[in-house]
Amino acid sequence: MTDHSQPTATRPPADARRLHPLSPLAAVGTYVIPTFFALVVFLGDVGIAIRALIFIVILVVGAGIAWAAWFRTSFWFDADGDLRVATGVLFRNERRVQVSRLQAVDIHRPLVARIIGLAELRPEMAGGESGKVRLSYLTESDAQVLRNELLAHSAGLMLEDGETAATPAPEQILVRVPGPDLAVSGLLDIGTILAIGVGIGVVVFTLVWGNPAPLIGLILAGGGLVFGSATYFMTYFDFTLAESPDGLRLRYGLLNTRSQTVPPGRVQAVRISRPILWKRKGWVRLQVNVAGYAGGSDDSAAGTMLLPVAPRELALAVLQRVLPGVDVEAVNLVSAPPRARRRAPFQGRRLAAGHDERVMVIRGGWLTHTLDVVPHARMQSLRITQGPWQRTLGLASLHLDSTPGPVSPVALHRDAGQVRGELEAEVRRARAARAAFRPERWMRS
Amino acid sequence: MINVGINAVIGIAAFVALLVWTSPIWAALAAVGMLAFSAWEWWLIGRQVAAIGYAERDDDLVVTQGIMFKELVVVPYGRMQLVDLKAGPVDRRYGMATLQLHTAAATTDAVIPGLPVAEAERLRDRLAALGEARSAGL
Repeated sequence: MTDHSQPTATRPPADARRLHPLSPLAAVGTYVIPTFFALVVFLGDVGIAIRALIFIVILVVGAGIAWAAWFRTSFWFDADGDLRVATGVLFRNERRVQVSRLQAVDIHRPLVARIIGLAELRPEMAGGESGKVRLSYLTESDAQVLRNELLAHSAGLMLEDGETAATPAPEQILVRVPGPDLAVSGLLDIGTILAIGVGIGVVVFTLVWGNPAPLIGLILAGGGLVFGSATYFMTYFDFTLAESPDGLRLRYGLLNTRSQTVPPGRVQAVRISRPILWKRKGWVRLQVNVAGYAGGSDDSAAGTMLLPVAPRELALAVLQRVLPGVDVEAVNLVSAPPRARRRAPFQGRRLAAGHDERVMVIRGGWLTHTLDVVPHARMQSLRITQGPWQRTLGLASLHLDSTPGPVSPVALHRDAGQVRGELEAEVRRARAARAAFRPERWMRS
Repeated sequence: MINVGINAVIGIAAFVALLVWTSPIWAALAAVGMLAFSAWEWWLIGRQVAAIGYAERDDDLVVTQGIMFKELVVVPYGRMQLVDLKAGPVDRRYGMATLQLHTAAATTDAVIPGLPVAEAERLRDRLAALGEARSAGL
């Protein structure tokens, strides 16, 4: 019901802060190389001089726009401790980051900015693309100070004048994903099975018909596989998960690095998944729904990875830290009725759901086994759906609606006679859990 | 109901077109087919409307809909982020409005179409008040 980023018409106060003066350089730098290659590769019948001219014009115009945007951007904390960001060259826009609604704070370092020593600060709020605030760029230390300030305000600690948040809350490293594990796990994903399947098909086709043309397809499939694995490896390189009083700290990336801070109680749902090829290694992956990472039109979907690969025991220990007091292994799961296999022949055997006093747990999946964990207190709404075939078999599905993200918990194909009772029981548990839980300003006594 | 109207318009257009360009027999056949389809749709829409229901309970709103694909949604008042009231031109002509509830989850599918305007406004105001009173943090 609250709009956290409404524009207002006030002028920035005199002590408003500025972004770093090199910001326009970093902004232009991110597209220098793509522009250069685009001009070299594409435009067919144009001389070198013209190409150079176009290149320079694009850069000069881009730099001008970036400089104007930098010049007209300022930010400050208002009396309530909320962050205000004023932007816009012709149309002024002022946004308020309401710290009580802060879902996470990320610091991104794209390669070019990283070379210059700059970083982008992203306070992530619940709801909507329209509300995204991006402070690009600050020096790395300034970005960290500002992040600590935001988190401190969000936790309910107002800083006295002159007091700074230069020292971050101490952290304890929980997991560091080894490079080789990451590389191997990327190759053993479902995409590999598909690529190998396509490859076999192509080779058989070539041998039978004696036509080498489909080999191009093989090369493309192989290329796609290598590219996908390489992207995955570079994105999650040196993945470090740590815990601090501010919340969970995640750091990763090879060229573009990213560090996320997710305050306690912001995790809406967790998915433990295991692609079939990871079975022998005993590995699993953890993904989370966090309200601020919704949308996913930019690379923000990446923010939902809690642990790309780890041994199952380690992952479960991490889960205990994320959702304190939850022991997924101890939850008693009730299987879907055997007739569910007629509706879902592959995963029917694995379908099950159960609960303890804090969370609901849902099991499913065939090629990738999944286990979804949703705290009762985080449930948004509940749904029962039933299609014609399910009705014939006396089945219905129970959906636990969570905020947008990789986890979409559905208890598929439950007994239709009991599902309404399960829903009402979960409604009661969720109500009780909501009444008991208040995540805002978690450090204020 | 709107669908039936649209069908009727398409049907008449098709009838005229067939009458002009082909034989009257085809036109008659098409007309019979269209009539049968419209009658079936009339019956289906009646059943679909009958399947739409809602109940205001102590702590949540329950909305049901669908015949082939049945759905029941429970939205706790404390989870509502936004209550939308919409009315298109046809809705307004017949004094109806559509109420939609939004939570922080995109998958929440709580829509009550075809409410009388007075009831829709009462429900919206009540839901907004309850949402404010019980609002729980994310």
